[in-house]
Amino acid sequence: MTAIRYVIRDTLRLIVHHWVLGLLTLITAGVMLWVLGITTLLSLNLENLLSRLESELAVQAYLVKDNTLDVEAVARKIQALEYVYTVKTFSPADSLAKLQVKMGSQSRALQMLGDNPIPWNFEIHVNNAEDVEPLVEALKAMPEVDDVVYAGLVVKRISALSRVSSRVAWIMFILAVIITALVVYNTIHISLYSRREEIGIMYLVGATRAYIATPFILHGTMLAFFGAVIAGAGIIGAYFPGIELIRENLPLLSNILLTDHMVIWRFCGLLAGFGATLGWVCSYLVVSRFINSITRPE
Amino acid sequence: MNINFSGVSKIFEPDIAALIDININIEQGEFVYIVGQTGSGKSTLLRLITREILPSRGIVAVGGTDLMKMRKADVPYYRRDVGLVAQDFKLIPTLTVYENIAFVMEAMSVPGRLVAERAKDVITQVGLWRRRSMRPAQLSGGEQQRVAIARALANSPSLFIADEPTGNLDFHTAAEVMKILFSINAAGVTVVMSTHNQAIVNASRQRVIELEGGHLVRDERGGSYTG
Repeated sequence: MTAIRYVIRDTLRLIVHHWVLGLLTLITAGVMLWVLGITTLLSLNLENLLSRLESELAVQAYLVKDNTLDVEAVARKIQALEYVYTVKTFSPADSLAKLQVKMGSQSRALQMLGDNPIPWNFEIHVNNAEDVEPLVEALKAMPEVDDVVYAGLVVKRISALSRVSSRVAWIMFILAVIITALVVYNTIHISLYSRREEIGIMYLVGATRAYIATPFILHGTMLAFFGAVIAGAGIIGAYFPGIELIRENLPLLSNILLTDHMVIWRFCGLLAGFGATLGWVCSYLVVSRFINSITRPE
Repeated sequence: MNINFSGVSKIFEPDIAALIDININIEQGEFVYIVGQTGSGKSTLLRLITREILPSRGIVAVGGTDLMKMRKADVPYYRRDVGLVAQDFKLIPTLTVYENIAFVMEAMSVPGRLVAERAKDVITQVGLWRRRSMRPAQLSGGEQQRVAIARALANSPSLFIADEPTGNLDFHTAAEVMKILFSINAAGVTVVMSTHNQAIVNASRQRVIELEGGHLVRDERGGSYTG
């Protein structure tokens, strides 16, 4: 109980004595974690959008016109290919009917073609946009396949966007971690340095290293935690109005965006936990190193 | 708590020999003066006992434990049984007299009520109860010295180490400090005190260990010191 009282009292003392530095750390950590949170949410939304687009991406494979061809066997062969998620088989008649529906009032033009020119074909879906290109290559290499049709440019752009988005999120994550860790590390180091004589005396009169270190570690953890809480509040304050704005101007995206309040609140809770952990790790490292250096006997 | 130095040398980098081949045995309950000129190795000897420094050669054993082999985690527990009065007092400047003394007990997780009782006892013992709310900078050198003694007494140590505790004090205040140290010793606590004050050593005729240039030149019970 006495030790707990001491830890609380000394942590408060640290906060009061180094309040300017603490405030700067809090703001820096808050800004960095806010940027990290917003980037992560944007990246998640983009991933959502991309996966929706990817799920709608289809490769159309047309078979050669050959009545002896075992369509079922070809379908099984395609299904066995790597990257393939689903394969749908369309007969020439089904395909023509689909085309007629698509063409609407202009479908009469199809009658001018005489015999149905559409061969047996397959609509193939993949899991990722990146899988389309290798699948197309594999299909083209099959002797039974006459032609392969797919939205090549769209696939390439989606893949590129997906890569960029994930890289940006990672870069932001690394930057936020490094900058937050550095400011917490420096603040705690300055607190320790300003009390180095006191720490030496404490150790000399019988205080354990854990007893000396705990207030400093708690101080660092609190700074990063409250920085993350501020970031979380900032995210909630900015994200929902932003979503509303997108909904009004781009209603098509409404179903794709992350709008569940509970998910966003949980995300902010996770961010606060992440901040506290980061603060704890940094403080622990700097305090251990510092106390080691000043308590080591000559 | 007995102290044993066996072939102890301490060489500071790059090549300064502070102590050379010291062999001493101090029994539980003894009062020992470590005397010698400035730079003779008195403080080094005391710092070896508190394990602030480690010997370059030889063994320093306190209460039968070789301090060189002591685990880092055990050092604070060992120091709680060693009352230390440093030459420069080593008081925490941001804490009051009371807090400086209560701190060492709080570090041991002594319950709050007992901390308050014991702190009052030792502060009263050194005659500073009325100044308990002052910070070290507001006290005179003699008063700071007494706070350091009170702090060293707080945990009821078995061994009391005092490095020049009367160094900066006038004769009257020094005599008061010595009175406190003798009363601690009378309670069975081993007291090891370094000094170069001849009057103090000669007034009480205790065991005298004299150092000169890092060498032990005299170890005499009931001895005197001529400087």
